Amino acid sequence: MNKVKQKDLMLYSGLIILGLAAPFLFSAFKVQLTYLCVLIVLAMTWNLQGGEMGYNSFGNILFYGLGMYLTASVQVGMFFPLAEWTESGGEKTFVHTTAEYFQGIGVGLLVAAIVPTIVAGAIGYAILGLRGHYFAICTLGLGIAAGEIAGGIEIIGAGQGFTTPPFPAEIVDPEARGQFFYFLSFLVLVLAFIFVKYIYGSRFRLILNAIRDNEDKAEAMGIQTMKYKIVGWMCSAFFCGLAGGIMGGLIGYIDSTDVAFDGREMGVFMVLMAILGGKGTLWGPIIGATLFHFFKEGLWTFILGWQYVALGVLIVVIVVYFPEGLMGWLREKYPERFGEVIDEKDRKAQVELK
Amino acid sequence: MNKLVKLFITSISAITLALVSFTSSFAKVDGEYIVLGSAISLTGKYSSNGVHTQNGYNMAVDRINKMGGVKVGGKSYKFEIIYYDDESNPKRAAQLAERLIKQDGVHYMLGPYSSGLTKAIAPVTEKYKIPMVEANGASRSLFTKGYKYLFAVLSPANQYLEVAIDLAVEKNGGKPVRIAQAFEQDAFSQDVRLGILDAAKRTGSEIIIDDKLPKELNDMAATLAKVKATKPDVLVVSGHTKGALTAIRQISEMKVDVPMLAMTHCDAAKLSKQHGKNSEYALCASQWHKNLSYKDKFFGGGKKYDKDFKKEFGYAPPYQSAESSAALLVFKDAFERANSFDRDKVRDALKDTDMQTFYGNIKFGPGGQNVAKPMILFQVRCKGDTCENKVVAPTKWASDKFYHPIPKWSERG
Repeated sequence: MNKVKQKDLMLYSGLIILGLAAPFLFSAFKVQLTYLCVLIVLAMTWNLQGGEMGYNSFGNILFYGLGMYLTASVQVGMFFPLAEWTESGGEKTFVHTTAEYFQGIGVGLLVAAIVPTIVAGAIGYAILGLRGHYFAICTLGLGIAAGEIAGGIEIIGAGQGFTTPPFPAEIVDPEARGQFFYFLSFLVLVLAFIFVKYIYGSRFRLILNAIRDNEDKAEAMGIQTMKYKIVGWMCSAFFCGLAGGIMGGLIGYIDSTDVAFDGREMGVFMVLMAILGGKGTLWGPIIGATLFHFFKEGLWTFILGWQYVALGVLIVVIVVYFPEGLMGWLREKYPERFGEVIDEKDRKAQVELK
Repeated sequence: MNKLVKLFITSISAITLALVSFTSSFAKVDGEYIVLGSAISLTGKYSSNGVHTQNGYNMAVDRINKMGGVKVGGKSYKFEIIYYDDESNPKRAAQLAERLIKQDGVHYMLGPYSSGLTKAIAPVTEKYKIPMVEANGASRSLFTKGYKYLFAVLSPANQYLEVAIDLAVEKNGGKPVRIAQAFEQDAFSQDVRLGILDAAKRTGSEIIIDDKLPKELNDMAATLAKVKATKPDVLVVSGHTKGALTAIRQISEMKVDVPMLAMTHCDAAKLSKQHGKNSEYALCASQWHKNLSYKDKFFGGGKKYDKDFKKEFGYAPPYQSAESSAALLVFKDAFERANSFDRDKVRDALKDTDMQTFYGNIKFGPGGQNVAKPMILFQVRCKGDTCENKVVAPTKWASDKFYHPIPKWSERG
């Protein structure tokens, strides 16, 4: 037992050191690395419902977009009139001082974590009674509706989009902005990992699994499934909101349907990454997101115009050949490495029976 | 678990090595090439206009390279463009701009297609002090942010259809008109809307329908039903290429009678070809038309550009291609005047640009917008079954008279 822990410790400290050193090692790739952190957070937290609870949600993009708009709105609204900021063609230019910028984004991220969590609770209460495909379709609608609604609200820029505050000009180092957003996203990634890891060792996960495997039986055993389903979704919403807030600041421009409530890309990617790596595992979504990001960044540009065809092929390959994801596939191939003991005699006996 | 951890660590170190070796970036000037970067929409909702833009860039690169290239410091250089596909998505565009600058070492940028994407890229180029000449981001808010490295060869979006309202008022005997308008939810169209609001205020006109339409505009029947019921004097529609096509398709299907129809993106949508007679009398805002009398030594005039472009790509150039070609002429001119590859010197040279191209005069205002070139309006007119775009305003270049009001559908053959 002790030995295993030591190995884990080595792995984790290695990863953290790598994470901290990454922006200096690969200075040119900071933005991509930030994306990677955000993608992992999204995949990992999606996995809480999709993988552990068995509720395939396409609606997590709602919390992501909400977080994005909230962070930017708070960051601007704390110091300047928001309506004038977003009004296109406004003659006035507002500039955040360095202190204002960081205070704004700090408070903004806090709000971006809390509000989506509350929203998830409220919406969850209303729709988590739906099961299976009905839940999936309903959440799909949520993301699309949110995008269209946001596109009509003038104070957040409506169809014009919302330009988030530029990084303070007093910080002259052009690398600073990339580093700031990288470390912010890395911090959120570490927090999300610790949280999910904690859940994996808790009774809460077993309850989520029970809901996935047979909700009626779980209920019959006296588990208040509704309560746990809502809490599970709120956990995801918390991190999705944070991820969205960071992305908004990083991209610098929020568009209602293409950047914030981007169900067509981010919303699908987070599901795809979790399934690619293997849903219902701790490391699956992380590996899935990493591979997906490398695939996307590495190959995308060489197949200009055909990248979505390639993505489609990838999805088909995953679903046909790795229905349980990479982790599931590895587990089937090398079960002993996952701590599963196979009785050789028993296996042979089964084969003979057939 | 042990082997798995080993595998994991090995793969991470392999990736690390690969990345480190990748980081060695190209130079801004590579041998005899000046490398420009551009994120272009080759897929997604702006793909057709993205391709028009790319064709415009490529045409100009070929032409300039063939005609002696760019002379800097007594040596002749050629242009080369690195393209990425931004998938019509601002998030992707911003990321690709970063990638072009940081990984590919690009020091000079060409703009993407559409205002939204330009808005996403401008903060990045600004941060790294990379001069960007863009030809397809017309939103007014781009020019009020105080960007120093952004230069647009086109007129701002709010000017697109203001003239149309003035024209309608003029035709109405100087009296205010009733305006119905429908705009796509995107940065560009919303700016066109602001221009109309200004014009309405100025002329005392009343806006009776003010609809917002979803992106990827495929249906505007609800707006048109309202138009049928309220009978406005002018109907204004803006929604990029898809908006123009949808509007004409549904107006002709529903037989909506309106005295004046003003739109954007008619030529990019190849409206007169695709919808033929149904599109007749539509009034379109355009940055450029081949009949204008501007000239330069690379493309000759508009008519010659039109002919060469047709020969090269097999279709008549929409203004999106023309303005994109003009962007490269601007860059060439600036490089030669700066006589240096220093970004700030090139930027200063761009700021002082004052030239004529086949596309129009180009001179940049303090915000980076082109202040030397007016917008034009053309009207689709048909003779038999062939339809053509005829310039009707402003009067200086008008080749034909503006036909008003549009005859009712019941009277059209």
